[in-house]
Amino acid sequence: MTRYLIAISLIASSLLFGCGSRPETSQSDDQPATQEPVYRIAVIPMATTDVFWTSVHAGAMQAAEELGNVEIYWEGPLTMNDREGQINIVQNYVAQEVDGIVLAPIDRTALVRYVADAQLSGIPVVVIDSALDDESTTVSFVATDNYHGGELGARTLATSMNNEGDAILLRYTVGQESAVQREQGFLDTMAKEFPNINMLSDNQYSGPTEVDAYNKSMDLLNQFGDRVDGIFVICNRTATGVLQALEEEELVEKVKLIGFDRTSHLVKALEDGKLQALVVQDPINIGYLGVKTMVSHLRGEKVEKRIYTGEYVATKENLDDPKINQLLHPQKVD
Amino acid sequence: MESDLKRSSRLLNLLRTTLGTLLALIVVITFFTIADNLQSGGGRFATVKNAQNIIVQSATVGVAALGMTIIVVSGGIDLSAGTGMALCAVILAWCLKADYAPGLAITAGILAGGLIGAVNGLLISILRVVPFIVTLGTMTIFLGLSKVIAENRTIRPAPEQVPEWIPQLLNPRIDTPWMLFPAGVWFLIALSIVVAMLLKFTVLGRHITSMGANQRAAWLCGINLFRTRMIVYTLGGLTVGIAGLFQFARLTSANPTSGTGKELLIIASVIIGGGSLNGGRGSILGTLAGALLMQVISSGCTALKLPNPIQEIIIGTIIVAAVTLDQWRQGRVFARYAKK
Repeated sequence: MTRYLIAISLIASSLLFGCGSRPETSQSDDQPATQEPVYRIAVIPMATTDVFWTSVHAGAMQAAEELGNVEIYWEGPLTMNDREGQINIVQNYVAQEVDGIVLAPIDRTALVRYVADAQLSGIPVVVIDSALDDESTTVSFVATDNYHGGELGARTLATSMNNEGDAILLRYTVGQESAVQREQGFLDTMAKEFPNINMLSDNQYSGPTEVDAYNKSMDLLNQFGDRVDGIFVICNRTATGVLQALEEEELVEKVKLIGFDRTSHLVKALEDGKLQALVVQDPINIGYLGVKTMVSHLRGEKVEKRIYTGEYVATKENLDDPKINQLLHPQKVD
Repeated sequence: MESDLKRSSRLLNLLRTTLGTLLALIVVITFFTIADNLQSGGGRFATVKNAQNIIVQSATVGVAALGMTIIVVSGGIDLSAGTGMALCAVILAWCLKADYAPGLAITAGILAGGLIGAVNGLLISILRVVPFIVTLGTMTIFLGLSKVIAENRTIRPAPEQVPEWIPQLLNPRIDTPWMLFPAGVWFLIALSIVVAMLLKFTVLGRHITSMGANQRAAWLCGINLFRTRMIVYTLGGLTVGIAGLFQFARLTSANPTSGTGKELLIIASVIIGGGSLNGGRGSILGTLAGALLMQVISSGCTALKLPNPIQEIIIGTIIVAAVTLDQWRQGRVFARYAKK
């Protein structure tokens, strides 16, 4: 039993002295002393290891550095599916009485109750990246304008098709809110602005994985392969599957493909000219504006209920543009 | 069948095991309290509110760990507890969404737990494959079944389909302060007492323990291994069903993957609490302390603003330490018997 205690206390002390309990503070010494208190803000992502989320982290830290009087606590659940884990983290930070919580909810229903709890305890919540079913208890929703992303996709595809021909929209999965927004933005713009482009198919869903998307696009190419001029997809996994199908059918040259979101595989394909463009989000800005919005709210300023973080089109031509380059090759947080 | 001396020494041993975990819990709580008070802006770790949070957060794993303790004591293991829990939650949510009465939906969810437990027990008995392999298989099967029922999505019953008392089961902000904990936690405490009594004071409990300590000897003594095993896994499954209810109460939606990985936390609770994977030993009080210990560490790390990886390393270290200590202790016990 004594050994048990020794072991535990050893672990405990290594925790205290070995790893240090330094918060990720941004308070620099040369900063002039301000009247404002130090704001302690918990930023709770969906995951911590994904490059998208490390970019969000970088953005949050950048905002904290600029503001000077902000401490960021970055803690996410162990996996993207760990809804209870994320709820626990929210509850823990409410118990810690942080000044504000910036949250990317894993589940739009499950987190509603706990966000309301935080608000009841006097802790404001800014939601980032993915919407919550009930926004009445949140300060603001800071995320990509997915509808606009769809519009951009439509215009880019139309341009690459010289405003005429036959196009396909391959949807993602049923019932994903951000996906629906992207698809709607695309279809509305096509119908409104490009009457000479005919939609061959817009009711097929790729399914969640690359393989599903590959199978579905093989079906579509079987049916429309000789006629289709352009394809728009709204998710990086779908894009990967479609790209593989196009390569196998030797249609890469003929069919223009526009994707949404980046992976290093897709960026390579873009550089090689195998796909025309990628509509990309700005995760750094999501983290940055998430924290900025929270601090504005804490200062008593009025903030917008919905804040857009920017959508961009990356093509082979603008690869060297510093902004596009940064979005395609996000750096990890130092 | 066993001498009074031997029985009392076993009880003593059980007490020592449990005391070790309880003391570890106290040490960890004390450590975090002190460390939290030392940091600037600290002092919020050791509060009633945070204690309520931690206890509510460990309830889901805790209730499934009760059943897992029975299974581990019987010499078995159930790797399907995590995905099984999600399956029960999915069935519950599906019933609510299909407008069945809440009572019926909850009964269906919990009975589904009993059923999947019985399936595990049956497969282990009939196929004569070790529980580790059988439940490794059913773990994936249950995940697949949940996905079929949920059509690969999250089932979200409309707010009016979920009666308010379900989320209140595990809401740490209770309307009646004298209750201290929400109803779900009191239910867990009551169930723990029942299971502990079952293991310690009933013939069935003794059969389960003997089967875990030495299956062959138990068989030679005339214990019906098949019947005992079926009861063990069915009871284990029922607690998994209740855990499914608990998980749904916290999420008010059900996702097929939301139980994945939870089986390891459940098993870890039992092991940290002094349960032996060799069977024959395990304590309900220890298991509950084990479940709490992991949640205390997790909450304490948040209080100290330690990043995720550190938490993971600490919890892993404690599991390995607990099992190592358990083996030393066993070694000592055997050595003592050998000397006699």
